[in-house]
Amino acid sequence: MREAYIVSSVRTPGCRRGKGAFAQTRPEDLLLQAINELMARTPGVEKKDVEDLMIGCAFPEAEQGLNIGRVIAQMAKFPDETCGATVNRFCASGLEGIALQAMRVKSGWSDVAIGGGVESMSIVPMGGNMPRPHPEWSKENPDVYVSMGITAENVANRYKITREMQDEFGYHSQMKASNAKAKKLYKEIVPTEAVKYVEKNGIYEKQTFIQDFDDGIRESTTMEGLAKLRAVFAANGSVTAGNSSQTTDGAAVSMVMSEEAVKKFDLKPIAKLVAYTVAGCRADEMGVGPAHAVPKLLKMTGMKVEDINLWELNEAFASQCIYAMQTLGLYDKRELWESTSDKRIINVNGGAIALGHPLGCTGAKLCAQIVTQMQERGAKYAVESMCIGGGMGAAALFELCD
Amino acid sequence: MQRRIKKVAVIGSGIMGGGIAALMASAGVEVLLLDIVPFDLTDEEKKDPKARNRMVDNGLNAAIKSKPPLFYDKKNDVPMISTGNLEDDFDKLADMDWIVEVVVENLKIKKELFKRIEGVRKPGTIVSSNTSGIPLKDMSADLNAEMCQHFMGTHFFNPVRYMHLLELIPGEKTLPEVLDFVAGFGEKMLGKGIVWAKDTPNFVGNRIGIHGIGKAMQIMLEDGLTIPEVDAIFGAPMGRPKTAIFKTSDLVGLDTMSHVSQNTYDLCVDDEERDTFIVPDFVKKLVENNQLGNKTKGGFYKKELTPEWKTLRKVIDPTTGEYVDLDRPTFPCLDAAKKCETTAEKLQTIVYGDDKGAKYAWKVTAAACIYSANRIPEISDTVVEIDNAMKWGYNFEMGPFEQWDAIGVEKSVAKMEADGMAVPENVKKMLASGATSFYKLEGTKRMFFDFAAGAYKEMKTNEKAIVLADLRANNKVVKSVPTCSLIDLGDGVFNIEFHSKMNALNGEMLDFMQEAGKYVEENGVGLVIGNQAGGMPGAFSAGGDLAYMLGLAKAGKFDEIDSFIKGVHEGIMGTKYSPYPVVAAPYGLTLGGGCETCMSADRIVAHADLFMGLVEIGAGLVPGGCGMIHLWRNYIESVPPAAKVTDLGGFFIQAFMCVAQAKVSSSAADARKNGFLRPTDRIVANKDNLIGEAKKEVLKMVDDGYAPPRKSKRVVFGREAQGMLWAEMNNMKSGGYITPHMEFIAKKAAVCMAGGDVKQGTPVTEEHLMKLEREAFVDLWRTENTQKMAEHIMKTGKPLFL
Repeated sequence: MREAYIVSSVRTPGCRRGKGAFAQTRPEDLLLQAINELMARTPGVEKKDVEDLMIGCAFPEAEQGLNIGRVIAQMAKFPDETCGATVNRFCASGLEGIALQAMRVKSGWSDVAIGGGVESMSIVPMGGNMPRPHPEWSKENPDVYVSMGITAENVANRYKITREMQDEFGYHSQMKASNAKAKKLYKEIVPTEAVKYVEKNGIYEKQTFIQDFDDGIRESTTMEGLAKLRAVFAANGSVTAGNSSQTTDGAAVSMVMSEEAVKKFDLKPIAKLVAYTVAGCRADEMGVGPAHAVPKLLKMTGMKVEDINLWELNEAFASQCIYAMQTLGLYDKRELWESTSDKRIINVNGGAIALGHPLGCTGAKLCAQIVTQMQERGAKYAVESMCIGGGMGAAALFELCD
Repeated sequence: MQRRIKKVAVIGSGIMGGGIAALMASAGVEVLLLDIVPFDLTDEEKKDPKARNRMVDNGLNAAIKSKPPLFYDKKNDVPMISTGNLEDDFDKLADMDWIVEVVVENLKIKKELFKRIEGVRKPGTIVSSNTSGIPLKDMSADLNAEMCQHFMGTHFFNPVRYMHLLELIPGEKTLPEVLDFVAGFGEKMLGKGIVWAKDTPNFVGNRIGIHGIGKAMQIMLEDGLTIPEVDAIFGAPMGRPKTAIFKTSDLVGLDTMSHVSQNTYDLCVDDEERDTFIVPDFVKKLVENNQLGNKTKGGFYKKELTPEWKTLRKVIDPTTGEYVDLDRPTFPCLDAAKKCETTAEKLQTIVYGDDKGAKYAWKVTAAACIYSANRIPEISDTVVEIDNAMKWGYNFEMGPFEQWDAIGVEKSVAKMEADGMAVPENVKKMLASGATSFYKLEGTKRMFFDFAAGAYKEMKTNEKAIVLADLRANNKVVKSVPTCSLIDLGDGVFNIEFHSKMNALNGEMLDFMQEAGKYVEENGVGLVIGNQAGGMPGAFSAGGDLAYMLGLAKAGKFDEIDSFIKGVHEGIMGTKYSPYPVVAAPYGLTLGGGCETCMSADRIVAHADLFMGLVEIGAGLVPGGCGMIHLWRNYIESVPPAAKVTDLGGFFIQAFMCVAQAKVSSSAADARKNGFLRPTDRIVANKDNLIGEAKKEVLKMVDDGYAPPRKSKRVVFGREAQGMLWAEMNNMKSGGYITPHMEFIAKKAAVCMAGGDVKQGTPVTEEHLMKLEREAFVDLWRTENTQKMAEHIMKTGKPLFL
């Protein structure tokens, strides 16, 4: 089988749902700017060279509907010949988009393709505008529609992840992100033009501005502050706004190419996408997904946990992320993830608790973060993984190019 | 020129100022709320407009956050208020139609403020003071003649939204036109009851009120009673609020109460009861220790938490000034009074009893009667003003003269004389003239005894007001059963009046309503459903009588419950489709069956203080009187039919949550927001006008040409609602937010409101919805848990969540 290369990989900042910088910016406009920057960072490749765009989206309806993959190809002025599709695997959608393109390349069906993801949680609410669970099925098995917060509580309760552990994990995520923001380590970020409609004396006026940082990071986070937050999903629960991912708007895309194409355009690829897999689990504890997907991925590729030099484990909830780390034997090695440690290799610049989790975009966003850091740190092998609503996990293995 | 109030300035943003501003805003008036620039600003802050307005903005925020709410409709009323300070925004007073002063009770400060206002106000602007104790003549001494013509006292009571009383105090030179206007505005727009007071210290309500409190304390100390004993007597048994003497003081604040007392003492040098206004030492000590009542979490009463989170209730022992454990004392006279039907009978039983409590009650009551009579004409011209002030400002069921009538004037005067009390001359004269009561009915007219004229005079009542008790006394009752009556309001309009306990609906009333309906169909043009029970906020109808159905359920007679509910449905729908217009006039508590009765009427004319909701879930039930059907109708039919509604979920969830969470509105505006009131329903500010306005509405509908509503199908959310809710209930259950039986009931409600198992958007008949409601209702009664819940709420008044 052929190799599939990530040649360039970018993301918009992640901005808070409702109150953040992108709350009034259309998801297409976020995605459009990410794609334009991707093309700019892939010199020599023209839009006519791109065969297809595969865009992940967890709620592909309304502003994100009508096959946003094809709409965006047209909006971005790709020629009619360039195709586009939307893919939905909830929180893995963005990675799924990239993996699908990698599989085309690997199978020899394609040479140049874009994979990515987009989600404006401000504009299309989580759950969609018109959720309609099946009436009979929701009586027989309502867990398939269960709220994500409840699954996080279930993981915390079943696997004894305490409130303190979760808060501590959230605190480190914020500190790692604060550090990265201050030192401008997110080189994959595309400064993105956003709009807002501002009322002045009763008249509304459109304003545009450039957003170039993740606006959910809270530098002032303290353990005491986190301890004061109330559980949001369950009476007497342990999952709070401070130890859960933020709901966020954002877009991210990657250029996937075959070896022939890389040579043709004389490009230096960043990493190979070696393998991608998904694994299922119980819907009411969907957070344990990575604990199944990562071992499956490692087994497929003949790798061991110790071989991996860099990890992005999506922080949907501290409880599930801690559980995944425990299963992989990583949690107790605190130097691998704590913000104060120079040896950290897990979520090195913070995770979704600080940076946000724009559902369908997340997989592509973490890809942009991980390949940038592989390059920066010379990390040979990296794994990206996340849990998925409905009871799944996804995981991908990247290998740094020489 | 037509006088209008478009803009009002309220100066002072404390509890009263904030309350007055909120009330004015609710009346649709633009309000400018002003307060001083804080004294303690840094040089930096002195340039910051936000810091300069800190005082007033904090005041407004406190009003916004106040509980119970001071605003009727926060979303729409708060933006009517703008804030400013007395340095930067003073010139804005030139634009105002009315300026209300509510600053600190200090003559010098008030005088200076009025002098400044004199400099900027435009001619014609009304200026009033909300002072409770400072004489107007002192405040206005050096103001120009034109301002004095527009200067008066407007004394509101706390909390402003809820207390009906507005005392108006004419200044020496106030124009009659101004006085009439403010009275009319206060009655119609602000919903207040007007009492005309004279420019004497503390005016009417507080003068009589503070004397009553002082006297109660004085005699308590003399006779050696305890605080809980006093409160046990001077609460509900005597037709007073449950908070009686000392809990009311805790509510008002011991500092405020002491201040009013001291002020009266200082200013009323010739008062024959001046000693009563000396604050007792044990109270002084509490004030010194900052034990001021509820605002300092401890006054006469205090709650303490044990380490085990148990609440301990404590009360001050006046002899030692220390807290002791609270007990629940009683007296033989109170036990006897419990068995009496009317408040008048209770009063007689208590004041003429011979135990320690009864003797105390007599002394305090007699003193209050005598003191009140001696205040005429000093503080007001008639007994009516004093009685109204105490009913509207202190929530007494009867004013002092009504009480005096209730215990018998001749009998009590004889006892006063025997006890060596000085009976007021004016009362002696009245008795000598052959008049034996302060009030009486003469034909259709309500009369009061006017001391000045030495004769009875007709009471001037608000023209819009209809008083059912008067109609009752004038033989206007057409039909009656013990808990319900049909009263002739004139002009072919009849009124169904509930008069059960809390006006809760029972089988007798439902049967009666059908019978009354037949009578109206044959003899009238339309029907009002309204009553005038007392209390604050009072109860139009607090729900349905559960006892009957619980009895049936316990005996396993579910078929009988089914046929009972069928009867209820027939009654409700009979009213709805009757050939004459029906207008409901709810106020206060309008819950469960009461709410359902209103929603089946053609129109609702509601008092602004409306606490309306379908609360059946708290009793383990779903609404059984078509409440869910009509709530859904209100939601879905408030949209123009030409609009295409694609997301019925947006309507359904809100309507469903009203039932599932037993939502009760915080005002009529809030009831409209939640769909209990329709856009065509009206809101009336003054409760006294409610039945009059409802009657007017009936006549207007008749005049416009009335046809009953058509029986049409209505779209429902159908099976899709079930998918959504079952999934969400799973989350609530997992999160521990809902108990199993509550979930069971909520699902039943969901099926009823969604129209059962049809595709979303299907138009269904009312009969289909009625069948679902009946089935759900009977199914719930079959469960042991619902029976337990119903029994629990009947016994304790509180829901039990199973």
